[in-house]
Amino acid sequence: MASNSGEEKLALSLISPYLAFFILITIYPVIYNVVLSLERRGVLTLVNYAEVLSDPNFPLILYNTFIWTIGSVTFQFLVGIGVALLLNENFPAKRLFTALIITVPWAMPDVVAGITWRWMYSDVYGVINDLMMKLGLISYPLPWLGDINLARIAVIIANIWKGFPISALIYLSALKTIPDELYEAAKIDGASAWVRFKDVTLPLLSPIIKTTVMLTVIWTVNYFPLIYVMTGGGPANATDTLVTYAYRISFKFTNFSVGAAWATFTFLLMLAFAVVYTKTLMGGRT
Amino acid sequence: MRIKVLSITLLISAILLLAVVPHTIAQKPKILVYIGGHGGPGYEEWWRELVTEFEKKYGIDVEYQIIGFEVYWDKLVAAFESGTPPDAALADLGGWVPAFAAKGWLEPLEKYLATWEGTKQIWPNLWEAVTYKGVRYGVPWYCDCRVLLYHKELFKEAGLDPNKPPRTWDELLEYAKKLTNPKRGIYGYGVSGALSEITTLGYMIFLYGAGGRLLTPDYKKAAFNTPEGLEALKFYTELYTKYHVSPPGTPSYTEDDYRVMMAHGKIAMAVGGPWSFPLIEMENPAIKGKYATAPHPYKVHPATVYGGWAWVIAKASKHKDAAWKWITFIDSYDVWKRWALKWKGPMPARIDVVFDVPFFLEDPRWRPIIKMFPHAVARPPIPQWPQVSHVIQLMVQNVLTGKMTPEQAISWAEKEVNKILAGGT
Repeated sequence: MASNSGEEKLALSLISPYLAFFILITIYPVIYNVVLSLERRGVLTLVNYAEVLSDPNFPLILYNTFIWTIGSVTFQFLVGIGVALLLNENFPAKRLFTALIITVPWAMPDVVAGITWRWMYSDVYGVINDLMMKLGLISYPLPWLGDINLARIAVIIANIWKGFPISALIYLSALKTIPDELYEAAKIDGASAWVRFKDVTLPLLSPIIKTTVMLTVIWTVNYFPLIYVMTGGGPANATDTLVTYAYRISFKFTNFSVGAAWATFTFLLMLAFAVVYTKTLMGGRT
Repeated sequence: MRIKVLSITLLISAILLLAVVPHTIAQKPKILVYIGGHGGPGYEEWWRELVTEFEKKYGIDVEYQIIGFEVYWDKLVAAFESGTPPDAALADLGGWVPAFAAKGWLEPLEKYLATWEGTKQIWPNLWEAVTYKGVRYGVPWYCDCRVLLYHKELFKEAGLDPNKPPRTWDELLEYAKKLTNPKRGIYGYGVSGALSEITTLGYMIFLYGAGGRLLTPDYKKAAFNTPEGLEALKFYTELYTKYHVSPPGTPSYTEDDYRVMMAHGKIAMAVGGPWSFPLIEMENPAIKGKYATAPHPYKVHPATVYGGWAWVIAKASKHKDAAWKWITFIDSYDVWKRWALKWKGPMPARIDVVFDVPFFLEDPRWRPIIKMFPHAVARPPIPQWPQVSHVIQLMVQNVLTGKMTPEQAISWAEKEVNKILAGGT
């Protein structure tokens, strides 16, 4: 017992710097933000939240956030699992391929990625329009970031590219834990590749998938730099999400209290989502 | 063992804390100066020279930070909001000074300006941009105004005289149509349409050129929903929606994108200014000598919008006099003249320097800028300017994307702007 509590103390002292910084850079800003959102001119009030809910753009911002999140998360999941299955097989130059496909999008700084995508989407010298025209898919360049619907799709595509590696990595590590015997047994029973995937892989990956999807939903809702760099929320609010809107109110309009209310609203929304999601899909387990 | 581990962790924590907590133990006054958006090749060295010269001359230590324009606003706002602002800082003439003054972040400068030799040398129209409720909070440092930037070779290719740029809207449209060739990916005129302050400026150039104005003279109400304002919005957006002389991606572009396209021969005309010269030549050195400037085409009378930078002093500063000394040093005739001769720009806010340094009047690219400057208008110096500007940007985007007609967009924008102006800060 004595040595146990000694170990605990050692552990505690080892994590204490981390804990101190965690409180300083995470807990403190969250609390500060909540306090800020409840105050106007020194008075405790809910008026900032009333302003959020009565904002004429509120439904549009929620809709945009919803589309952005559903689109990004669905395809990050599909591409992520596809790439994970691919990387779980053996093929030549696999390591190089893994390194490239996983690290390039993921390790590229958000702002650099945003600027690069902006260039690629350009209708004057962008590579995407150029390729599509050479393939005969379009006869005139498309204004990817200049059209309301195309811009929504364009930022989601960029985000799928930016975000799929983390999903792929998680699924890949989960795939490695599935014993080969299960596949061999299924093969002997005459199961096709699809059946093996559907009845062996998917059920065993399911808990990991549920957790990863929940995390990517939260990350996507909170993911700001890519949209900010690519469209700034435009054109005509088409890509304005909760975080770009909150950012603009706080830092462009220096209306910190209302901005904080938007941010706290987003936080509460994500909290509610996480609670409902874990309760229903994950049987209360976290 | 336990004590050892504990003391090591404590030591590491202490070191980390010391690294993040700023600590100054100085006898001489030491000022912190934020320099926004004025870095780049050679400039770091130049700032260091100036700072060293100032330190020697006045016995004041200067800690300075050169901060990229893209992040400068955020960085300044964060510094002021957290109560640890720089003593002296540059602020954009596009409404930053009144916005900060309204927050109570800035020191009023009237008492300093009353005795400064440079006060009467500043271009008179610049003071509006640094005034809030009748009090001046900034010292204009440099300025510029927007003009038409055009590609002379593309003019020649289209059979137009490169020495006769368009003067009126009619000519602008006529030229732009001739210059546009979508098959080759060449467009006549770049309409700024992205969600950016630059889009507001683009509309303002057309609005004032049509004889309209943005707000009432007391800044209390919107004044652009008039026949002139509507005509300006229609013409500006129809260049894209009707005549297609601006590229398909117009709602995502600003003059910065068009400058890059012009460097590569894809855009014939766009709005630009003196800052465009080094940038367009950096993008494509071969364009040197192949582009020119002219007053921007107008409908009723020539018009433009000015921009630039001013120095401000933080109200929270403990060394205001030292900060003021820095400003008078950097905005002095002597430093400005050396600056202008060395860098050939930007345009000093001091009239005496502009007329004493020959190239401003000799360089054909600079002449239209100096000529237009006295006619340049300020962006309304109100703390709500960022919101107002945002509404103007949305108004333009709503028309460009076909979400609203010009009529719908302009009355929507008028209502929004009036709401913002009525709401206080």
